[in-house]
Amino acid sequence: MDDLLVQSVLVQWRVNGKLHEIEAMPGMSLLDAVREQLGLTGTHMGCQTGHCGACTVMLDGRIVKSCLTQAATLPRAEIVTIEGLKRADGTLNPVQQAFWDEAGFQCGYCAPGMLLSAMELLAEHPEPTDAQIDTGLAGNLCRCTGYRSLVRAVKAAARKLQDTSGQTPG
Amino acid sequence: MADHSTTDDTRYVGQAVRTIEGRAPIVGAARYTNDFVFPGQLYAHIVRSPHAAARIRRIDSSGALKVSGVVRVLDGAEAAAHLKPITHYIDPAVFGGKSAEVRVMAVDDVWCYGQPVAVVVAEDKRTARFAAQRIQIVYDVLEPVLDAEAATAPDAHIVVPGWDSNIMMQAPFRNGDPDAAFAKAAHVVKTSVDIHRFSTQPIETRCYNAVWEHDIEGVTLYATAQNPHPLRHVLSEVLGMPESKIRVHAPVIGGAFGMKMHGHPEEALMCLLAKLTGRPVKWTETREECLLIGAREQRHHMELALDADGVILGLRDRYFANVGAPSACPGWGMAFLTGLTMPGPYAVRDIDVQMTVVITNKPSWNAARGYGKESTALALELAIEDAARQLGMDAAEIRLKNFIRAEQFPYNSPTGLIYDSGDYSGAVLKAMHAIGYEGWKARQAEGPKDGKYIGIGVAFELTPEGGALPGTMVAGYDSSSVRVAPDGSVRILTGVTTPGTGNPTGIAQIVADELGVTMDAIEVTQGDTTTCPYGFGNYSGRSTIVGGGSAALAAQQVRAKVVTVAAALFDVPEADVELHRGVFSVKGQQGRTLTFKEVCYAAYTGAYSVAHGITLPLEATATFKPSNIRHTPDENGRINPYPSYSNAAYVTVCEVDVETGKTKVLAFAAAHDCGRVINPVLVEGQACGAISFGVGGAMFEAIAFDSSGRQLTRSFMDYVMPRSEDLPAVKMVHHDSPNPVTYMGLKGAGEAGVGGSAAAVVNAINNALIPLGVSLNTLPLSAPNVWGAIQAARKRGQREAAE
Repeated sequence: MDDLLVQSVLVQWRVNGKLHEIEAMPGMSLLDAVREQLGLTGTHMGCQTGHCGACTVMLDGRIVKSCLTQAATLPRAEIVTIEGLKRADGTLNPVQQAFWDEAGFQCGYCAPGMLLSAMELLAEHPEPTDAQIDTGLAGNLCRCTGYRSLVRAVKAAARKLQDTSGQTPG
Repeated sequence: MADHSTTDDTRYVGQAVRTIEGRAPIVGAARYTNDFVFPGQLYAHIVRSPHAAARIRRIDSSGALKVSGVVRVLDGAEAAAHLKPITHYIDPAVFGGKSAEVRVMAVDDVWCYGQPVAVVVAEDKRTARFAAQRIQIVYDVLEPVLDAEAATAPDAHIVVPGWDSNIMMQAPFRNGDPDAAFAKAAHVVKTSVDIHRFSTQPIETRCYNAVWEHDIEGVTLYATAQNPHPLRHVLSEVLGMPESKIRVHAPVIGGAFGMKMHGHPEEALMCLLAKLTGRPVKWTETREECLLIGAREQRHHMELALDADGVILGLRDRYFANVGAPSACPGWGMAFLTGLTMPGPYAVRDIDVQMTVVITNKPSWNAARGYGKESTALALELAIEDAARQLGMDAAEIRLKNFIRAEQFPYNSPTGLIYDSGDYSGAVLKAMHAIGYEGWKARQAEGPKDGKYIGIGVAFELTPEGGALPGTMVAGYDSSSVRVAPDGSVRILTGVTTPGTGNPTGIAQIVADELGVTMDAIEVTQGDTTTCPYGFGNYSGRSTIVGGGSAALAAQQVRAKVVTVAAALFDVPEADVELHRGVFSVKGQQGRTLTFKEVCYAAYTGAYSVAHGITLPLEATATFKPSNIRHTPDENGRINPYPSYSNAAYVTVCEVDVETGKTKVLAFAAAHDCGRVINPVLVEGQACGAISFGVGGAMFEAIAFDSSGRQLTRSFMDYVMPRSEDLPAVKMVHHDSPNPVTYMGLKGAGEAGVGGSAAAVVNAINNALIPLGVSLNTLPLSAPNVWGAIQAARKRGQREAAE
């Protein structure tokens, strides 16, 4: 755009453990910043209105819809995206493992957002009921599975986390 | 969950193997089309018509061109100078209909709200969007036609200039003597079924990124495309460029469900813009744009002739499909399939079905999972429910009385289809048992509690799969290559593609068994026209039938080669060589083994010794062509375009809160026949996904317009799709009859679930509302619509009481 009055904001984020400085333009969403400035394309655009949850990331320990979050409003932030979920040794974390083992998802487009929502859910409810899982996933749409396999995956993840007690998701 | 037990654990087929493509998305490594960015990348933004019907008087792009960062602006007339009309995926003219000239952007006349009118290409997407607002377009707004039946009126606005009417195609599906059947009927039941416009809406919207290849003066299109090879053919015709200069690459696809079949204007348009700018040009669809793609808006006027015992003697249906504006996409063909699939699973011979496909000023359809067969199921099952109600019969009883019997297969349907196999009564009985039918009936008999009424719905669905339409790129066959490298690793390349259904894993399971290797030795490549064998991609539940079938044949050929080499190495007859999971052994001689890798390396390096008798390399390409597809018309001019007839029975229990109209699915059972099951978890995933389409379509999802034809449904705020809490646990039982002509009896598992589950839910809700005198066959049965119907029935009751 040719508007020279547009003022960018320099923001400092720790993304998946790594420090970044980004020139955030007004109107730039956290989704665009993560995908286009940082090249982390595992976070997906689905609707741009906050309804589908494909863009879910973790911001300062809580999940947010990155499409609705303005990058320039976050001068300092701790951000975790799907790329940051693997353990230090490169293996899958128990929730990722359960999503794969249980065929929780199909096309995989919603899976990153679903995973982050599931991780927050399991942090709050280590042994979630069906109703708690439904609520925990209520911000994420999946068009492939009909959700039953996702519920199964979340339950399997809960069991895996119980087995490796003392471990928090992630 | 269904029983996942398998009879033979020495084989991968039949086992719930974890998907080979499943790791990438959960670590953020799967690359979808929108994830590709190339050096010099440009971005396109499309200006769309805000009017449903208009003439374009003037387009002034000068304002947009002044914006810094804008590289190119193009309007419809200029695009038409460079591009031919888009080739129809399924040309209506081939089937006796009218074929419109579809351009990538409107030239002079606007046919629908949202039609592309101009495009801006800029250095970044924000600039493109900003500049697009500076294009000034002057329209003469016309009165649109929006309703299918109204559009057939003699004085209706003609959507396509030069056409004599808005009727694109009319076709009868007629057999026997329906008039005689109706003349002798004890009961004639008339039911109008209004199926609304609803859409597939994959979470990944469409995206095209065209890269100009300066070296060959060709183009590579990265595309959310289900059918890369046929799309390449269309691009070749539209761009006037040989297919050999075009590469279509469909990377990981985030759900498709028919919507990513081609004919969309943006495909060729991005290629043209890449050519004109010499730089990569990307367009990513917004959700608002994605919601413009409709499907299924169809009104049926059904009549059933029944004898005194509830046997259906004849069927009449006059149906009108509102397919919107002309499009090159294959959506309109859904309406044809609706008629062709009549009368579904029922043994009715005397039928008189008349299809009318109508063009209106609504946005166009594209293919949607179910492909018209879901509308057959809805129309039939709602009409039969009406008949059961009027005759005082049980919903299951009337169906069991009228099904084609298991011993009647192969069955020649009255429209010319040849159903391969099935046991429809058995499936319904299994689904009833799974849900506890009698228990729920007893609970229903106890009456409503706290204003909540319970209803039970039964429905059946026949979904012909693997379709092949003559004279079109909807082919019934497909091909795969199996390539084994000197290190023994295996690459499968297929002509079929995956929109995320798991078929690469199913195909790898088949090849692992047929070739004799372990699953971890296999990689699968799909969706690239330069590397994969010519293929037709993904539609019609075909990918495992023909993709798996052809990969099995190729694997058998490669296995024969490596067995020959191993026999030479062992110095034993070939018949004595065994190969299982990557290890060769000799029958009866313990301890003599060779690894797959050792034999493959010996083959590649022993062309004049141990591999003398085989053709190197260790590769084969094979085609699977189901033998029962028949395109030569019979004496009545009928063809059988389908090799496979998947089917399923559904029983649901719904609860209706009569004070709010809110409905809830309490229990759901399905008995599914998709033939032989390769991977039970993946099959169940397909079925549950289709069921969520059906339940969502029946209860929530709808695309609405205002009276001037502007679409009101523009985001997921308005287009309400089921979330986790909205869907019940599904009790899934398999009731498989293997298809006698396909590889291992495969039938296709992708589509069954949409229409049958939608019909079962509608029937359950209407069943619940019998005490209130409500029968609602105008979909969707959303809370406001149900509440409205209850209020209307109450007022009617009060009026009648007063009289």
